[in-house]
Amino acid sequence: MKKALRFHIDVLHPERCIGCYSCVYACSRHLFNTIDPSRVAVFVRLNGTIANPFSVIACRFCKSPECAFACPTKALQPLPEGGITLIASRCEGCKTFDCISACAIEALALDRRTKLPIICDRCGDCAKYCPHNIFRYEEMK
Amino acid sequence: MLSRVLYVDIGKRSSWVVDKHDIFSKYLGGSGVASKLLLEEARPGIDPFSPEAPIIFSPGYLVGVFPCMVKAVAMFKSPLTKNLGESHAGGHFSSALRFAGYGALVVRGASEYPVAVKIKDDKVRVEMADSLWGLSPLDVERSLRESHYEGMQSVISCGKAGERLVCYSNVIVDRYHHFGRLGLGAVFGSKRLKAISILGTGEIPLESPLAVKEMYEKLNHEVVLSGKMSKYHDLGTSANMLELNELGALPTHNFKDSRFKGAEGISGEVMAESLLRRKISCPGCPIACIHLAGLRTDFAPEHEKGKKEVFSEEVLLPYNYEPMYALGSNLLLSEAKNLLRLIYHCEFLGLDAMMVGNILAWTTEAFEEGRITLDDTLIKPEWGSVEAYLQIINNIVDMKSPFYAKLAQGLLETSKRYGGREYAMIAGNNGMAGYITGYGSIVGALVGARHSHLSNSGYSIDQKTMNQPLSHEQISDFLIEQEDWLYALYSLGACYFCRGVYTKEAVCEALKTVGTEKTKEELMKMGKEIFHNLYKFKVREGFELAEQEPPKRVYQVQTPHGMLKAEEVKAIIKLYIKKREGEGLRLKPEEKALKELLR
Repeated sequence: MKKALRFHIDVLHPERCIGCYSCVYACSRHLFNTIDPSRVAVFVRLNGTIANPFSVIACRFCKSPECAFACPTKALQPLPEGGITLIASRCEGCKTFDCISACAIEALALDRRTKLPIICDRCGDCAKYCPHNIFRYEEMK
Repeated sequence: MLSRVLYVDIGKRSSWVVDKHDIFSKYLGGSGVASKLLLEEARPGIDPFSPEAPIIFSPGYLVGVFPCMVKAVAMFKSPLTKNLGESHAGGHFSSALRFAGYGALVVRGASEYPVAVKIKDDKVRVEMADSLWGLSPLDVERSLRESHYEGMQSVISCGKAGERLVCYSNVIVDRYHHFGRLGLGAVFGSKRLKAISILGTGEIPLESPLAVKEMYEKLNHEVVLSGKMSKYHDLGTSANMLELNELGALPTHNFKDSRFKGAEGISGEVMAESLLRRKISCPGCPIACIHLAGLRTDFAPEHEKGKKEVFSEEVLLPYNYEPMYALGSNLLLSEAKNLLRLIYHCEFLGLDAMMVGNILAWTTEAFEEGRITLDDTLIKPEWGSVEAYLQIINNIVDMKSPFYAKLAQGLLETSKRYGGREYAMIAGNNGMAGYITGYGSIVGALVGARHSHLSNSGYSIDQKTMNQPLSHEQISDFLIEQEDWLYALYSLGACYFCRGVYTKEAVCEALKTVGTEKTKEELMKMGKEIFHNLYKFKVREGFELAEQEPPKRVYQVQTPHGMLKAEEVKAIIKLYIKKREGEGLRLKPEEKALKELLR
């Protein structure tokens, strides 16, 4: 896991998205050993109609992440290399999910089972399974 | 295993869930489960438009789990054939049903006023929907799509053609996919059911995630990188236009010819070069076979002071080989833009474009022959004339004259009244697909449970055996083996296009990873049983295979296997019947069999 933190994921070409959800399904397989398009850290969103281009959203690993600043209990901690980590024990008790509404690109989702935000662990499966090379997955310099 | 069946009665506005573990453990899902539910739900001789007539939907067993497992199956009594209605669709529908936690959905009853069924996981509501009535399915999708949601949502709806009970109207799924064939749209219309929206936010739990991941990896590699499916991604099935033309198997001029001079203009190559705008996929499939072309229409030229070319709207619409043959070469239409206008018109009204192509071709020929006149058609149909054809399609939907009212019921009914059966290009009253490749394609369409080229890939044995005569035995064995196996695949949610990747071995291995152990033989047996179930329904509803014959036109056109002969077709069907009866399937309606016995 430590090693993965040195990797970075970019959504480079969202306009190439075909709506196959390969990234989404891969993410839920990886993070939760299940197939569930609402328990993921990468999102394919329809914008009102399928006739509009899809939006592809993933964590941008901000240096000053909105979500971490919004967290009232400091459960979400910014990482020096960008992005966040979750201290799950601190997160309990929060009923407002400020972190989730704080993210401007809505890249953070709530796990409805655990009631914790779902954090991307940078495994790169989204990039691996995308047939149209929408993502860039590389080690940080 | 999903074993919950959601029942919705739109007349009583009620819904309930029944656990049908026995059916699911035997047939898994998709075609298998739907076939059993259809036999349970539809009483013998039921009128397709009666309130009690059921509509059954079932997503495949492996939908969402493995690549290209994307399909849901709809079963109903077809208003077109007055017999088995079976149609498959991709899009978000199958996964939305699965994530909502249902292995099948049964819709019953009829409403006095237009309604829409809205399902969100366990919440089911039948809502008034007069405001949606008359709208195009394309607009319905926009109206019912949630602005922001988690999980998977699907919106399916009939168009104006379905509302007006045109017997070959379809149900459009998420704008670009279709329950295309055999008239499900009209069954929706008869129930005054405009649309169904399903939002599923649940999960597909995995017993052994590691095994699934490994299997997924393997299959995904085959799908994306092996080249086995690249045709569907690259040009899509529209590549067939030039391939079949070259082969001399492209239905042209209402099947009078098998080569089309104008094929180039409506080829997949031309479409891809100048009109293709976007490709999209079903969730769970990395192929993106849905090719969307941009159709530009100039409007409001007065605003642009005559420079109309700079100001035009563009709509995207899906194209693939079947509508391109049906509305293109078969009507001698050689310009891509005109072809797109016809396809769009069918999409907008919710019509099966393949059947419409057969209908327009028949109408043009019958008019030339003087079987029908301007009093019937109100406008002169002419080969290749897009304006006339657009008007005729409107006239069918509006049933503008007694002739059009008949035409709305399909070509069997029309040719009974007006003649011209010999060139009404239907098999089992369903419009024929775009392959006059040889005996395989013709017999395949006649014997297939849903009279589709995807029933048993009859055309493919023709194409594989060019210049090589095939025995009756070889053809009938191929059709039986194919249809049985495809029904096993259709229970899993497989798309027809991925049949090359999902070999019997691969399917057994994939099933094992989700805790379902089945041998190849057991899968074949399951497929066969599904076929038998469907034929039980067909025979019960009066279908007699021995009486099936293609329109005489197929014997008058050059195919890659030469001129086909009626005796040969009859002989292959006879052998096919013998083999199927040998499996214990009864292919003669009970009354008739009894009469013959007593004689």
